[in-house]
Amino acid sequence: MNISHQPARRAIIELRDIEKHYGAYHALRGVSFDIREGEFFSLLGPSGCGKTTLLRTIAGFEDLSSGTLTLDGRDMEGVPANKRPTNMVFQSYAIFPHLSVAENVGFGLRRSGKLREEKAKLVGEALEMVGLSGYDARAAHALSGGQRQRVALARALILKPRVLLLDEPLSALDKKMREQMQVELMRLQRHVGITFILVTHDQEEALIMSDRIAVMFDGSIEQLDEPEVLYRRPNSKRVAQFIGVMNFLPGEAQGLSGGRLAVDVAGLGRAEIEPGQFSPDLDHGAVSVGIRPETMSLLFEGEADRARVASGTVREVVYYGDMTYYEIVLDGLDSHVTISMKNLVDRPVLDVGARTRVTWDARALVAFAA
Amino acid sequence: MLLVSPTLIYAVALLAVPLAAILVFSFWSQDFLTVDTTPTLKNYREALTEPLYRLLLIRSILISGAVTLVTVLLAFPIAYYVSFHVPARRKSLWIFLITIPFWTSYLVRVFLWKVILGFNGVVNSGLMALGIIDDPVTFILYNANAVVITLAHAFAPFAILPIFVALEKIDRSLLEASRDLGEGHVVTFLRVTLPLAMPGVVAAVLIVFIPTVGDYVTPELVGGPGGTMIANMIQTQFLKINNAPMGAALAVIAMAVVTVIALAFVWLNRRWLGVRQ
Repeated sequence: MNISHQPARRAIIELRDIEKHYGAYHALRGVSFDIREGEFFSLLGPSGCGKTTLLRTIAGFEDLSSGTLTLDGRDMEGVPANKRPTNMVFQSYAIFPHLSVAENVGFGLRRSGKLREEKAKLVGEALEMVGLSGYDARAAHALSGGQRQRVALARALILKPRVLLLDEPLSALDKKMREQMQVELMRLQRHVGITFILVTHDQEEALIMSDRIAVMFDGSIEQLDEPEVLYRRPNSKRVAQFIGVMNFLPGEAQGLSGGRLAVDVAGLGRAEIEPGQFSPDLDHGAVSVGIRPETMSLLFEGEADRARVASGTVREVVYYGDMTYYEIVLDGLDSHVTISMKNLVDRPVLDVGARTRVTWDARALVAFAA
Repeated sequence: MLLVSPTLIYAVALLAVPLAAILVFSFWSQDFLTVDTTPTLKNYREALTEPLYRLLLIRSILISGAVTLVTVLLAFPIAYYVSFHVPARRKSLWIFLITIPFWTSYLVRVFLWKVILGFNGVVNSGLMALGIIDDPVTFILYNANAVVITLAHAFAPFAILPIFVALEKIDRSLLEASRDLGEGHVVTFLRVTLPLAMPGVVAAVLIVFIPTVGDYVTPELVGGPGGTMIANMIQTQFLKINNAPMGAALAVIAMAVVTVIALAFVWLNRRWLGVRQ
């Protein structure tokens, strides 16, 4: 999470009832939201959800079928991509193969009316900002994936756009490089203070970098929130499933008491679900109760009993080094729950088939319509 | 070795041997039917001093150059249209249609141009019927113009295909990147599309220029006296004047000139696109 804790800022982009059709295909369905000045905003969703279309709409590469898009209070209808105060980092980076690094970075300066020395200075500064000082004369094809991405960033940021658009910029990098670039991108965004809009299908990436995330499915926004809210209080089952891992158990709602929803949860017994963690229209009847793996834990030998304990059998053990993920079949249930445990020095790793006791933090339960 | 040998034999028999034979012949001399195998530079001396040969060689290069220019300039928009504006699923159909002229024999196509460009041909009777001209125009047949028109038509597909391939290879996101960085369509074309299409253009230039310099069928049939090229002279030396060594020397000189020009183009291409893979 990008912890900048800015006060709520004014909207730089306002999207209202955006619709996009490609022939019979309905790519965007009534999308409306604001993006705030200076924030790191992510559009997150599976492929085909419309997130890239939305980004390209903001860039000016796609026309709207209907709806309005304003940038800095100015209606963008009919404004072509080359006249918009946005710049984009393409998924393929789109580095011009016939130009050098410096020529790539300075590509957009032709129209700036600046003198050659000024342009060279700006290019030098931009390259320094992305950590590529001294690469000016390097041929574009002689760059690694990470370097290409830095060139693409420098080329876009040198024009000082109002909004920087990033289309899956890290998907072509290997894991180590990706993690490094995530941190660098966050730092860069704080440094330049420009609004960043990131398109990604990687929930972890979105959680790490964003101030706010819009989760998209089938052309519309399912939930728009800060990463922590999104993770802890997903408003639908698919958001919960898309972001991190969540266990689902069948339950029976027994009505409200003191703002909490009482639910009989299969395998866990009676639970009271915190306000804000269930949809207000849930009251009685079948529900699906979600709980994250890290809010449940195994009770090892010698550990004191807790108020909430269930028994079960270990079905699968996935050892990660720092963590172990257990699949536990709770007594009386057919399906399993996944529980993650930190690997401490005095904590054994259980074997498949072992009997174990399980406890959980009832405050973490979330209820969805079944 | 065993696997390479058929290819090697093929290459030697069909490329190296004829080339070597021409080269050897050019240093011999011939008097009517007797070939004198004493090595001599007589043929080269004559080829380089005799004004007629020089005129024919220069004319061949100029005509070929004009053909190349016209062909490539006309081919580029066609290749561009097919690559950028024809829907992906129709592209192969378009390319297929472009090759249709190849379905007829080269000779037949040259004769057809004779019919089209002739004194009583399609162009003249059409223009006269429309009242645009009163008498048939004669500058379109039996001269260099006719050769340029005929060859440009014959070689159009050869120029379209390499340019098309080069355009197809351009990552479309590069064009979007240029637009994103503030450039309009025209400047994007000049700064991105054209430089990246250059390898295709150079290939087209070479593919058209090299064979047309040595063409003798078209100048023979539609060129008239003003459109005669070096290859016609080479043919005359071999078949009519019975001076094969002279013909061989002219052929070697023509080859050398074409090689120099072709290398210059390749070198220019490398220089322009020095940073490209």
